[in-house]
Amino acid sequence: MLVDNEQILEALWETLYMTGVAFLFSLIIGFILGLLLVVTRKGHLLENEPVSKVLNVIINIFRSVPFIILMVAIIPLTRIIVGTSIGTAAAIVPLVFYAGPYIARLIENSLLEVDEGVIEAAQAMGASPFQIVFRFLIPEALSSLVLALTIAIVGLIGASAMAGAIGGGGLGDLAITYGYQRFDTLVMVVTVAILVVLVQGVQSGGNLLSRRVRRR
Amino acid sequence: MIQFEGVTKTYQSGKQEIHALNGIDLTVETGEIFGVIGFSGAGKSSLIRTVNLLERPSSGHVLIDGKDISTLSAREIRKTRKDIGMIFQHFNLLNSKTVFHNVAMPLILANTPKNKIKEQVKELLDFVGLSDQATKYPDQLSGGQKQRIGIARALATNPSVLLCDEATSALDPQTTQSILELLRRINREYNITILLITHEMGVIREICDKVAVLEAGKVIEQGTVFDVFTNPQQQTTQRFVRSVMNDELPESLLKQIQNPSRKNSIYRIQFTGTSVGQPLMSRISRKYQLDLNVLFGNITELQGAPYGNLIVEFTGPAEEIKKALADIREGNVNVEEVLNYAS
Repeated sequence: MLVDNEQILEALWETLYMTGVAFLFSLIIGFILGLLLVVTRKGHLLENEPVSKVLNVIINIFRSVPFIILMVAIIPLTRIIVGTSIGTAAAIVPLVFYAGPYIARLIENSLLEVDEGVIEAAQAMGASPFQIVFRFLIPEALSSLVLALTIAIVGLIGASAMAGAIGGGGLGDLAITYGYQRFDTLVMVVTVAILVVLVQGVQSGGNLLSRRVRRR
Repeated sequence: MIQFEGVTKTYQSGKQEIHALNGIDLTVETGEIFGVIGFSGAGKSSLIRTVNLLERPSSGHVLIDGKDISTLSAREIRKTRKDIGMIFQHFNLLNSKTVFHNVAMPLILANTPKNKIKEQVKELLDFVGLSDQATKYPDQLSGGQKQRIGIARALATNPSVLLCDEATSALDPQTTQSILELLRRINREYNITILLITHEMGVIREICDKVAVLEAGKVIEQGTVFDVFTNPQQQTTQRFVRSVMNDELPESLLKQIQNPSRKNSIYRIQFTGTSVGQPLMSRISRKYQLDLNVLFGNITELQGAPYGNLIVEFTGPAEEIKKALADIREGNVNVEEVLNYAS
């Protein structure tokens, strides 16, 4: 094997770091966007057609650019935000731009699943829009939100494998550089195995959490 | 008191305008149970939603205790809504929360102190008979229990009005009965005005004081339940009344008595209130020496008063029949001719 255990551990850490930090930021962005997408819809709490239309277009644009292109395309922006265009930190910026709009759509979907009757009941009790969102909409959608976010994390782990293109490191990078380009099958197998375990773990954790928040 | 004054509601559906409400004028007095009945699409659910502004009238006014609610600000509307409880056909409970939490919700929204919430929720659950279910979740309950939770939740803010949106339409007849009893109890014990919409005439008969019949966004008939049931004017109303009070002769019987060889007179006799208790038939029969044959009949209770409906065949001299009918009419009894070959 062309790499030692230390390199593998470092790559694992880089993957976890990129995914974790990118997830946190994209969750914040995605949550705000997703919520706005829902409440500005026609007939919803804060119906606003212009906002709704603009948001949809922007999100669709980001969602249609392949991650590898997005990563390169926003290099100037990355440089402004983190001061450099290469390395692990630099990889986080495009990951956020990739996952944020994705999470926004997932959150939109989950929130739309909530029975409209529940919202109507909330309005009939005299709840404010803020109360409706945080006391009714989100608690009712929480279980489905957790599952949706699990999907987002798995997607982020996958996307982070491409971070090698801008020197981001991580398990995917290791697999490509050593396993693919230098024909070290063992490195390939080991890194892929770690990724499989990682994804399995995230999914199981997500399922468990989703079940636990279904009733609180 | 809830007053509707020329309320209209128009929707835009594509290029087509849909008139859900076409100038509604109605008055619901404080403390009464007012039922609005209509087939689906008649505009019932739009009508009930204009009361708490879940739907805003396109024109006209809804006044609650004399105050026009359409002029209120968003904050004032929310305040007004806390004084108007609402229950729904599909209950609309939070499935992620316990029964306790569901009932507590309006109090939580109003920032009520925790110990007070506990006390009030317990009281409410006692009232609807579900105090032992507080820690359960809605999906562990039956439909009737869920509606009781909905009722407890609606009562949490001590409203003066309760809106019932097809509250029993998803329930079986037996459960419907028990929910209606609960609604009647709420009306009597707390003097809460109830406005309900339904497509089931049985619900109207069971608990309403007054009824309005809605068709194509218009009130086509209204009045006390007793008047509307005993003397429906419009065809739609007659259909609704007939759905719970069968006062029509069966087809087979009709054929039989329409046979011209039977020379006799058939009358519909409607008893109301106290006249039900009297042995009218046998008295008339003896006094005028007539043969009376009850072809068809039923007795129902309307607003606590019995209401009887008999179709009787009179056989005997025409003169005597005439006298007998006059005699019957003297009591609190309505007689109407169905067939008469004697005259």
